[in-house]
Amino acid sequence: MARITLENLKHSYADKPENDDDWALKHLEFECADGGAYALLGPSGCGKTTLLNIISGLLRPTQGRVLFDGEDVTDFMPDRRNIAQVFQFPVVYDTMSVYDNLAFPLRNRGIAGEALDKRVRLIAEMIDLTDTLHQRAAGLTADGKQKISLGRGLVRDDVNVIMFDEPLTVIDPHLKWQLRSKLKELHQQVGTTMIYVTHDQIEALTFAEQVVVMHEGSVVQIGTPVELFEKPQHTFVGHFIGSPGMNVIGCELDKGKATLAGTPVATAPVKNEPQPGANLEIGVRPEFITFAKSGIPVNVVRVSDTGRFSIVETKHKDQSIKLLVPEGGIIPSEAAHIRFDAKHTQIYADSRIIT
Amino acid sequence: MMRRFTWLVPAIYIIFLMLPIYWLLNMSFKTTNEILGTFSLWPQEFTLDNYRKIFTDSTWYNGYFNSLIYVVLNTVISVTAALPAAYAFSRYRFLGDKHLFFWLLTNRMAPPAVFALPFFQLYSAVELFDTHIAVALAHALFNIPLAVWILEGFMSGVPRELDDTAYVDGYSFSRFFFKIFLPTISAGIGVAAFFCFMFSWVELLLAKTLTSVAAKPIAATMTRTASTSGYELGLLAAAGVLTIIPGAFVIYFVRNYIAKGFALGRV
Repeated sequence: MARITLENLKHSYADKPENDDDWALKHLEFECADGGAYALLGPSGCGKTTLLNIISGLLRPTQGRVLFDGEDVTDFMPDRRNIAQVFQFPVVYDTMSVYDNLAFPLRNRGIAGEALDKRVRLIAEMIDLTDTLHQRAAGLTADGKQKISLGRGLVRDDVNVIMFDEPLTVIDPHLKWQLRSKLKELHQQVGTTMIYVTHDQIEALTFAEQVVVMHEGSVVQIGTPVELFEKPQHTFVGHFIGSPGMNVIGCELDKGKATLAGTPVATAPVKNEPQPGANLEIGVRPEFITFAKSGIPVNVVRVSDTGRFSIVETKHKDQSIKLLVPEGGIIPSEAAHIRFDAKHTQIYADSRIIT
Repeated sequence: MMRRFTWLVPAIYIIFLMLPIYWLLNMSFKTTNEILGTFSLWPQEFTLDNYRKIFTDSTWYNGYFNSLIYVVLNTVISVTAALPAAYAFSRYRFLGDKHLFFWLLTNRMAPPAVFALPFFQLYSAVELFDTHIAVALAHALFNIPLAVWILEGFMSGVPRELDDTAYVDGYSFSRFFFKIFLPTISAGIGVAAFFCFMFSWVELLLAKTLTSVAAKPIAATMTRTASTSGYELGLLAAAGVLTIIPGAFVIYFVRNYIAKGFALGRV
């Protein structure tokens, strides 16, 4: 268990990075508290796996330092960092039995005898592998193999950090839920620092205490699931988290008051004045918009019923605004007015929050 | 109606395949006079003399030993050299790797006869002429590229994460390579070894050119159709039967993996 600090981290796969696009990680600076459960969330290709491999020592960062509990481990090989990592696709040692696969990391650290046996059986129990413990690993199905990978990541209780790189991609949906809650349960039991990489927001939001949202090689926001939902620091976060994502609507700002094509809109108070000429946008989640007698005039374009609520797509001038209407709510047929919940309406200048 | 004859086509095909082998076997149990004199589908005077001659005459059985020695040497050299090369091609990107990988095969584009003269000259100069290692090295020129190709295919089928996981689990590179990686691609090693074995076993020209007495292969002995006692066709047939056996034996062990190799498009 350890506190992990990433200092001024940059990484590029090119030998001589020239422009911005050459950097897989642009500039990273954050800290994972000891015993925390973190999720790295972002679309494919945003640098999540790169970051993970830097923490585990499989990659050496082009610039910056990695510290475990204040000790610089940037030049340590993976085996010296005392970590566990689970990859996206199942990795099992085909030539060994399931038991030996699970025991492998323990044996390498000189654990043997009863302590080893007890630990292996405990983990096997947890991931439902007790019945197949003495089979050869090669004959198992993809999710069986992935369970072994998971088990091997969890089997040591003295690791600094356990890292999961989209570990549930190949697992059946119903088993996903099970394993995810198992992971969470295990985290509460042993309190190891865990970093979980995923592009699935539900996985990230249910697993982690702190979610790190990444976009194009940089961290755009670190926060609890509630913070990410209610106060996205960046329009990307608003888009990426939530379904449907946050509405982002072009607006004007005059003396701290926002207007939408002439219609004044109540928002959260502006904290930082934007740079002159910055691209201004209002961000508001569909959950915080309601139909009203007066307000912003819109036309209802489309209604899709998802069961518990309906997603209503409306148009204000040529800007699309989505809102959620709970089951049984009244949806006007064409022209209507909508109102934003001021507390949850943010203003963004060049994609960054200013309210 | 059609269904009753579905066995017919494979049956004809198998007969077609087996006929030459049967004929060879048939001949090996006949006397030379019977082979030359009459047409018979099975031996009229069944004899084991031909085999007895091979197992007792040192010019014959030494041919087998010589062949086996250089074939085994060659297989070991080729696979040992190809393993690290194939690992490098499958795991690392370096300048010109794709070109180099392709150009490995250029040696195979020339008939072995092209190399007969340079090899003969070279090996005579360094006094390796008529040794087993000379033939083994000459065959390695063709077999190492082939083995690299086959092994690279199998190695690329193993995800990189296996390497990473082993490092994270606390293994060093060499322990990982020998204890985990090699067992994982054992099928590929089997297939590569098989192809090296086969090429070296059937190759005649270089083996014949580079040897005279001490390392003379069986196939070279077999090209001697007549001896002081006239034609010895029965004897040749028996030698032929015995030459098929090692190949059949080796293919039996790798039969399941060969299909995998074909599926990878590398064989």
